[in-house]
Amino acid sequence: MAKSAALQMGQQVGASFQNGKKQEDLRYRLYSLAIIIVILAVWEIAPRLGLVSPIILPSFTAVVGALISLMQQDFFLRHFSVTLTEIVVGFVLGTSIGLVLGIALAVWPAAKRIAYPFVVGFQAIPKIVFAPLFIAWFGFGMSSKVVMAVVVSFFPVLINTMVGLESVPAEARKLMRSIKATPLQTFRKVSLPHALPVIFAGVKAALTFVVIGAIVGEFVGASEGLGYLVELYKNQLRIDRVFAVIVILAAIGAGGYFLLEWLDRKLIFWRSDVEGK
Amino acid sequence: MMVEPIRETASPIVAAQDARPPVIEISALGKTFTLDSGPVVALESVDLTIRKGEFISFVGPSGCGKSTLLNMVAGLLSPSQGEATLNGARIDEPSRQVGFMFQTAVLLPWRTVEENVLMPAEIFGTKTQALREKARSVLEAVGLGEFLKAYPQQLSGGMQQRVSPRTLTSEPDVLLMDEPFGALDEFTREAMNMELMRITQAAGITVLFVTHNITEAVFMADRVVVMTPHPGKVSGVVDVDLPRPRDIGQMQEQRFTDLMFKVRGILGHG
Repeated sequence: MAKSAALQMGQQVGASFQNGKKQEDLRYRLYSLAIIIVILAVWEIAPRLGLVSPIILPSFTAVVGALISLMQQDFFLRHFSVTLTEIVVGFVLGTSIGLVLGIALAVWPAAKRIAYPFVVGFQAIPKIVFAPLFIAWFGFGMSSKVVMAVVVSFFPVLINTMVGLESVPAEARKLMRSIKATPLQTFRKVSLPHALPVIFAGVKAALTFVVIGAIVGEFVGASEGLGYLVELYKNQLRIDRVFAVIVILAAIGAGGYFLLEWLDRKLIFWRSDVEGK
Repeated sequence: MMVEPIRETASPIVAAQDARPPVIEISALGKTFTLDSGPVVALESVDLTIRKGEFISFVGPSGCGKSTLLNMVAGLLSPSQGEATLNGARIDEPSRQVGFMFQTAVLLPWRTVEENVLMPAEIFGTKTQALREKARSVLEAVGLGEFLKAYPQQLSGGMQQRVSPRTLTSEPDVLLMDEPFGALDEFTREAMNMELMRITQAAGITVLFVTHNITEAVFMADRVVVMTPHPGKVSGVVDVDLPRPRDIGQMQEQRFTDLMFKVRGILGHG
């Protein structure tokens, strides 16, 4: 068949194209690796040569040492799990609230007209200023940090959910109307899947904000958590341990991001088809 | 009921169609859109009776109200004046007896070609094995038999457009087509038109076919409704008395050329 021959040829062309792309990927990975090595080398050498004081910037190996010794302390797990819990609970609540509000504003025009000015006004406030207030309201425990994390993270999910749901092509809506689909059927079968890539972008942004919210909450008032540890070690001038905690926080953030990235590809498989990944 | 005009060339085919029951009756149907700049008449009072199994082409330049008319017959747009009826009942919402083919194929990228075709059946709650077979045969008819399990974005633009006749899967009594093959190349378009004409004629489906291509309009139709803009209105109806089944060879006949120029004449650039 001419058609299948054409398809095969297409696949071959695709394969050689992908080979070229793989080589290119590898090249860029090598560049990234080279940059990392240079940064680590400067980080290691500068304090050792006395270019910067080890109190300001401990060398890379000193930080690695601090990281290992910190992780061996029995109190470490407690602080780690407190912050991780705040992040996970804050993320689940924040994204859920953003999703529900975004859906409500998108499907219910009256709600949008009434609530949208408040939503935008609220977004204009630098929400970090609420941190002392939340400590006063919800105490020194985890709940004030969770509230902080929720408040800083729900907005990108809300906006992206709304925009995603509202960007369903007119012809798709018309098709659903022409076959007398109910609003719920249209929502489930067309609007929500259509909005999913955009919603997911908002969810990824929310993750970053959740970590920031939890840590800021801990800075302002806490007796445990990784943010508390940063404050503590800074006051003790144990800067190597401050860096060690930062590395752990970076790892939490990166871990969450890769988890979401993986979920994104599983869930929104049709997008990766387009990009030919 | 409007009075049918007396035809100068009453061929047996046309006479036989006139004996068929009316399916769609359009009376004094009009649409006025209210814009910020004031009211705009998109369609001025249209009267038309369409009988069962008839193939009606609506041809005219943009702004002549042909899509507006189609959307009102589909129940997707409410008329400002007059009414349209389907089998005697006033149309005020979409009907499952009516299939609509849009300008684009409207394929959802997270569904395979087959799943896209079967979506109306999912909504209707009629997704059965028989219907799957029907979907398969429709896709085979448009040359997509090998691509049932492919995702739309794996197909070329032209191939995606060929999924449009999926509406036939739900076996509608009436088929509304809004320039569904507009984006296809001329050869594919011609083949699709022929295939569509064969299927709808065989199944006795009444077709309302909107196009801006005069050749296509005349070649496919039993009657061509000629529409002109500013305001959108019906300027004339041309009976196409070419025998069926149609084949491309008929385009060379003098009668075909005459009909085309008759349409052109009404459009005002003959």
